[in-house]
Amino acid sequence: MNRRSLVGLLLLWSLGPLLWQVYTSFCSDQALIQPFVSHDQRWTLIHYQSVLNANPPFWRYLVNSLIVGISSTFLCLLLALPAAYALNRIPRQLSALSRLALVGAALFPYVLLFLALLELARALNLGNQLLALSLPYAALSQPLAILLLNNAFNDLPPELEDAAKLEGLSLFQRFRWIFIPLISPATASTAILVFLFSWNEYPIALTWISDSSKLTLPVAMARIAGSSIYSVPYGAYAAATVLGSIPLVLLVLIFQKPIVSGLTSGAVKG
Amino acid sequence: MIIFLLLPALLLLLVVFVVPLFRYAWLSFHADSVITGLIAIPNGGANWLRLLQDLRYWQDLGQTLRFAGVSVGLELILALCIALLLDQRWRGRDVVRTLALIPWALPTTVMALGWRWIFNTPYGPIDHFTKIAGIGSLNILGDPNFAWIATVWADVWKTTPFAALILLAGLQTIPADLYEALRLEGGNALICLRRITLPLLRPYILLALLFRLAQSFGVFDLIQVLTGGGPASTTESIALYAYWNALRFLDFGYSSTIIMASFVLISLICVIAWIGLQVLIPTHPKSRGVIEL
Amino acid sequence: MTLQIQNLGRHVGQQWIVRHLNLHVEDGECVALVGPSGCGKSSTLRLIAGLDPVSEGEIILNQKNISHVSASQRAVGMVFQSYALLPHLSVFANLELGLRVRGVRPSDRQQRIQAMLELVQLQDRADVLPAQLSGGQRQRVALARALLRDPDVYLLDEPMSNLDAQLREELRPELRRLVLDRHKPVIHVTHDQHEAMAIADRIAVLHSGRIQQVATPTDLYHLPETLFIAKFIGRPQINCLRPKDGVITAVRPESLFFAKEGLPCKLMSREWLGSSQLLYLESPEGSLRLSCSTSVDIPESLIVSWHRSDEHYFDEDSGRRL
Repeated sequence: MNRRSLVGLLLLWSLGPLLWQVYTSFCSDQALIQPFVSHDQRWTLIHYQSVLNANPPFWRYLVNSLIVGISSTFLCLLLALPAAYALNRIPRQLSALSRLALVGAALFPYVLLFLALLELARALNLGNQLLALSLPYAALSQPLAILLLNNAFNDLPPELEDAAKLEGLSLFQRFRWIFIPLISPATASTAILVFLFSWNEYPIALTWISDSSKLTLPVAMARIAGSSIYSVPYGAYAAATVLGSIPLVLLVLIFQKPIVSGLTSGAVKG
Repeated sequence: MIIFLLLPALLLLLVVFVVPLFRYAWLSFHADSVITGLIAIPNGGANWLRLLQDLRYWQDLGQTLRFAGVSVGLELILALCIALLLDQRWRGRDVVRTLALIPWALPTTVMALGWRWIFNTPYGPIDHFTKIAGIGSLNILGDPNFAWIATVWADVWKTTPFAALILLAGLQTIPADLYEALRLEGGNALICLRRITLPLLRPYILLALLFRLAQSFGVFDLIQVLTGGGPASTTESIALYAYWNALRFLDFGYSSTIIMASFVLISLICVIAWIGLQVLIPTHPKSRGVIEL
Repeated sequence: MTLQIQNLGRHVGQQWIVRHLNLHVEDGECVALVGPSGCGKSSTLRLIAGLDPVSEGEIILNQKNISHVSASQRAVGMVFQSYALLPHLSVFANLELGLRVRGVRPSDRQQRIQAMLELVQLQDRADVLPAQLSGGQRQRVALARALLRDPDVYLLDEPMSNLDAQLREELRPELRRLVLDRHKPVIHVTHDQHEAMAIADRIAVLHSGRIQQVATPTDLYHLPETLFIAKFIGRPQINCLRPKDGVITAVRPESLFFAKEGLPCKLMSREWLGSSQLLYLESPEGSLRLSCSTSVDIPESLIVSWHRSDEHYFDEDSGRRL
């Protein structure tokens, strides 16, 4: 097999299922049931109309996910940046141990935490509040975020900070003038990865949010699926899948570089 | 001073990662369900005894291990092939790299729903294909023999790009002159793979393996949406069973026991996988540890 | 203003990096710290700057003990080996940052930076990023930043080691003009003994975290207090004869001359150095280096001698001068 056909196969494998959803979303119900029979009305926008006009309308879930994603990313970076800096300034053995613990936490299948987090949400009355979700999300993203940012701090020449200290810059000023601008590529990578995690997270959102106008996208999609197993409105499904995928496909296409560098720098030094 | 920078993150990490484990350990020795009025009452080792005798738990454990083993194995092999393909230089490589990453970025539940349509009987494309091929309708999601394969398939599709990217990062650290030197000695592609690529890639393979193994052992979203654990619980995973116990049967004590057992098991599996990989892949003098301590 | 360092020491874990360090630097005086790599010269500088904590001893600047004052309060101007310029800021912004955080008014900043850029002859490079400057230019920006701080003491940490040899020679007089005329104590760390001898009023030789000798370049060369210094200072390296009765006799290569009587030698190899040549000789006293004028014809076997007054004696065990 030559390279061209291998690449074709790879693209078919990666994008085929997604393209099938796009195809389905434009097919009329008749055409879906009998794909090989010619129909007068093969193509339709009716599925998109039904999804967008549902109650609550589909874009509500996108907005909810966006709110949660942005607030979690912000909170996560706010805590991870100072911690990543400080990790280099504690005794070396302690720092190595902390990094190992962070790697362990990053590998941990966080799904198993759902029950304890649910109890927490109940105890603190955090259920059904979108912004409250950013607390567990920021926390679950901390290990990866701290590791990635710590790598970035490690890559900076230490004399830059020494020189700034002698110039009289306070810690805050050093962050403002030196660290924030110089590690901005790593910060961007981290931010996108945290955002992706928050956008896609399911089990915690499932257990924390029940109010249907406050659902995040993944939970809303699953709820459609759970409505009925046998007579599911697949056209509407596919339309929802396509609408739910578009923001992320765009995100990947636009931010491919920082995503890849974030994932790989995590791997190289993780 | 430094401690104040670490403290907020440390506190959050403690609350989210450490406190739950102690809470689970504590709850697993308590009855805490609808019967007790959701109040924790110590019940000794009753939960653990129940776990030992719970056939559904052992069936789920076996299914979870089968799912994790098969899908991680397939994923790594496929990821290595993709990484090798994407490591070579050719026109349009960067575009393909980006496009191949898309499945990883999509929410699991969104694409699980998509796969449910693709595996649908009788209207999905797979069903059409098998009918045309003369195999007849397979009823994939309704047949215990096929349903678990469908879950593996969807999982491999979704997570291979991540593993491929990690391995690709590893491939790019291998200096080209190592290959050239071996070629001059008459080594062919297969020998290069065995003697250079795999040994030098070992830390990356290890990272991808451990991460994916841990994550797929905790598989939840995909199964809940794609099959709901069915048919007849044959695709149910441990995480799903723990979830049912907590949210459907409202038995927090027993759910905690399941989670605690899973936590111990997954730690064990990761250690075994780590050691296994060290034995399996030969070392290379230039391979140095990423997380090989 | 004077800088006084008394019994300064720093240890990490069990290991002393610098210990029992005493040094006194006058206003307008430049003391060079030299020594092999890892001898603690950069660590000493970091202690004076306040970048590392002092474990014992005192640093006194203008009769004020600053040993435990934070780096930003010490009024220290430091030039780093790597220059430590912020890569994302222009030359002007790099210089402005310190003034800004110290609360200098914007109009004043503008004026002072302009004047400083003219002094270091970079007035037309103000808006350029450090990456677009040559090594020598970057070094001058780093110097300008230290000068703008108007510090009470200047610390130069191998400021020229990243430059090529020719540029170093060109910059030496400039460094003198800019820093030494400020009438402040200057400490210059370098591994290049030529640079130390060319710039410094006195040289302190460090070995394993301790000062072995502080002296003027001439004294250091003619009256080295230890064998280590005798070997470290002066190129080509000093000749050490076979030890006799626990005493090592050492003679500089340029003190050797050809004679009718003396030590019979065999020529092993020779290096032509332009103005002089260096001969590698084998003698009953061990191998010797001899430097002489290039106009001399060298036979295969020859006899060398030296004046007794050019001999240095060191104790074989302690390495101290006798």
